[in-house]
Amino acid sequence: MGLMAIPAAPDVLEDRDVRVEEQVPRPWQTVVWNDPVNLMSYVTHVFREYFGFDLPHAERLMLAVHHDGHAVVAEGAREQMELHVQAMHDYGLWATLRQVPR
Amino acid sequence: MSGPRTVVLELTRMEAAHLAGLVSQFAELLDGARSTSGDPAIARLVPDAYADDAAAAQDFRDVTEQDLLERRREDAGRVLASLHDATLLPDAPEPAGDAALELIELRLDPEELRSWLRSLAAIRLVLATRLGIRTEDDHDVDDPRFGIYDWLGYRLDGLVQAASEDD
Repeated sequence: MGLMAIPAAPDVLEDRDVRVEEQVPRPWQTVVWNDPVNLMSYVTHVFREYFGFDLPHAERLMLAVHHDGHAVVAEGAREQMELHVQAMHDYGLWATLRQVPR
Repeated sequence: MSGPRTVVLELTRMEAAHLAGLVSQFAELLDGARSTSGDPAIARLVPDAYADDAAAAQDFRDVTEQDLLERRREDAGRVLASLHDATLLPDAPEPAGDAALELIELRLDPEELRSWLRSLAAIRLVLATRLGIRTEDDHDVDDPRFGIYDWLGYRLDGLVQAASEDD
């Protein structure tokens, strides 16, 4: 009886922490940063051609990059975001990936 | 989805020759290039993929850098090939000035167009590094290199518009 009762409370707490961590994996993001060189029309074109965004969506993201300094253009698995970042570099855009900030 | 289409680009032989010169210099810069050489222009073409994780950035670089630079070389080669005929001045008796200002038409298929867009954008990045452009206000009208930079921007913008027409 005594053996079963004593350690119960801390174990349950630990388990719960692990479970919460597993249930909420933080996805990754592709972030495009503003630079003074790339033309606004070119950045919009890249977003449309590569991501397949429609013109309003692509322009909204381009303007976010321009005015806010950066924009999240995609979110998902890390490997997928690495492919996106490589593609952005291929176009000459300045892009990084990161895990969704806590 | 806006896929590039075949576009017709009109430019003078003189422009074509200047452009071919720039793209040739770009190709020379890329020859054997790697980010560890310390050239900020090359570094700008293959930036860090992770801002706060140097080890992950290096791993990413190990996998992608040479592919990215090789593709730049292929792009430059494709642009030079499409410019080749345009840069040949005819052996005609007319004054050289007339031939240089002669308008020529280049037909760029979708693959060529993509190489042109990427190359013009990349060459502007290289020039901007050399010119020390850090903000949109960094512009010296007395420096002729800014003229080339602006002209490339004008040509790139025109090609982007042509690529996006009818969308």
